[in-house]
Amino acid sequence: MDSMKKAHVVAPDAPVRVRVESISKRFGTLTAIEGVSFEVRQGEVLGFLGPNGAGKTTTVRILTGFFPPSEGTVWIDGRALFESPKEIKRQIGYLPEVVPLYTDMKVSEFLDFAAAAKGVPRKFKKTKLKEIVNRCGLETVQNRLVGQLSKGFRQRVGLAQALVGDPKVLILDEPTSGLDPKQIIEIRGLIRELGRERTLILSSHILPEVSMVCDRILIMNKGRVVASGTSEELEASLKDTQEIYIVMGERHRKDEALGFLRALVGVEKVSVIDERSDQVSLSLTVSKNQDLRPAISRLFVSREIPLLEIRSGRLSLEEIFLKIVVSEAALQEDKAKPEGEKTEPEKGTGAS
Amino acid sequence: MKGAWILARKDFRSYFHSWTGVLLAVFFLVIAGLFFCLLVLNYARFSFEASKYPQEVIQSLGLTRFVYTSFFLNMAMILIFLVPLISMRAFSEEKKQQTLELLYTYPFSDFDIVWGKFWGMLQFFSFLLLPTAVYLGWIYFLGGRLDGGQVALGYVGFILLAASYLSLGLFVSALSENQVVSAVVTFGVLIVFWILDWVAGFADGLWAHFFSALSPLAHYRDFTLGILDFSHTVYFVFFQLYFLFLALRVIEARHWKTS
Repeated sequence: MDSMKKAHVVAPDAPVRVRVESISKRFGTLTAIEGVSFEVRQGEVLGFLGPNGAGKTTTVRILTGFFPPSEGTVWIDGRALFESPKEIKRQIGYLPEVVPLYTDMKVSEFLDFAAAAKGVPRKFKKTKLKEIVNRCGLETVQNRLVGQLSKGFRQRVGLAQALVGDPKVLILDEPTSGLDPKQIIEIRGLIRELGRERTLILSSHILPEVSMVCDRILIMNKGRVVASGTSEELEASLKDTQEIYIVMGERHRKDEALGFLRALVGVEKVSVIDERSDQVSLSLTVSKNQDLRPAISRLFVSREIPLLEIRSGRLSLEEIFLKIVVSEAALQEDKAKPEGEKTEPEKGTGAS
Repeated sequence: MKGAWILARKDFRSYFHSWTGVLLAVFFLVIAGLFFCLLVLNYARFSFEASKYPQEVIQSLGLTRFVYTSFFLNMAMILIFLVPLISMRAFSEEKKQQTLELLYTYPFSDFDIVWGKFWGMLQFFSFLLLPTAVYLGWIYFLGGRLDGGQVALGYVGFILLAASYLSLGLFVSALSENQVVSAVVTFGVLIVFWILDWVAGFADGLWAHFFSALSPLAHYRDFTLGILDFSHTVYFVFFQLYFLFLALRVIEARHWKTS
């Protein structure tokens, strides 16, 4: 998976395309999202991650101008979205969670309509549409009815309509849901490619997808942003303790090694995981924010004990996600207990 | 406004993507043709027997009044069945396919969406009406001489009436996700409007005035007789604006559910 990770880095001086200032959305007494703020730069791929019902779709719908927030402001390219929605909407391409398609239109007709709706000038329309069709791999189905296409192709048509009009900001809500593994890989490849040249916001509840495709991740739970950062930052900030795995040679010197490792400042616990033939595998629990690997390797070298392997054990993003969401839930319950009532998770608001 | 036009064009075409549009056209034209033929045949029979009637009666019943006035009045009845079938698609279909979400996020204003839907339906209806122009040629070929102004006014009135009914259907369709529900409710409301005309006939005094002022048919009748009355036109325009405004409010409602 790591090999598939994109290598490109967002320039720190890239212009901020989307700025969200503490937006909240309430449906009656139900609060779908509360105080969500973030920024996305040009060329950056931001991932929304969260369990179903976390408020991802609500946030996305506000960003696309579907409805305004109850509080807060959305700035697209420095302009407030709900002050001149019609113009700003041209800058946004949106692929909703349930891909909305005119099933009785041909693919080419549908894209034609999208182009007209988004005000693509007539003289560029043909070449622009051709480019999009090629990019999304729709050449072979252009003259077929959308309703007759497979799920994978429909998703591509949905993506194609979002791309019409060269939007600076692309918002994709669960773009790979319901696709087979091969299609998922194809669509992800396409998303990564698209993210290089524009601002891309992706919402998903699938972790590997987000960590693979996104430069930055925003974890949402119960309508609030509970964590944000690159996947590395999230990993770093969330580890109270770090683990280091060591494999050493010369099994008979195990006790000596255990001795000096335990004496090392910062080491909380050393345990033997495995002993076989002449090797010993050890696991060290180290307190946060210290990298003891150089110190450890020096100790082994100075005592001439062969050090066969040393690596820091990382929490996977999945573990982090679960940790955040679970600890959040525990916190919420603690808070709610004195009142004797627990807040219901949102239901039936279309928020997910 | 340009957005409305783009949407109208898409909607107009969409009637022909499925069989709905073709079926509606067949339904409308067969019935219209049937009515028209019967009226012409009736007129022919009447002409043969004309010698039995006094001269004044014959002169008061010209060809245009005998055939076209009756034709337009009968077609008003057909509208009650036709309009719900045209308007049920407007919003209900978009809601079912979830494409309304797409339209909301495209650079359309809510006004564009409502206006575009209305225009689309009106374009389709005008398209259905177009072949009936053949009747004029047919009458002329048979040697009949028509009062062109009266026929033209009849068409104007018929289109105004249809547009009013369609605006009502659009509003109902904006409320419902289900095409069948949308069609049935529109049909029901149109029947109520139709009954208003009867009630006006039974009532007397001020009430009769009140009901006939409300009834679309009462306002429509003058058009079919070749009488141009400005107040009737105003009535229909307000009727349409009123229901389009209501439809706009329904569409905008997604903005209000915020606190």
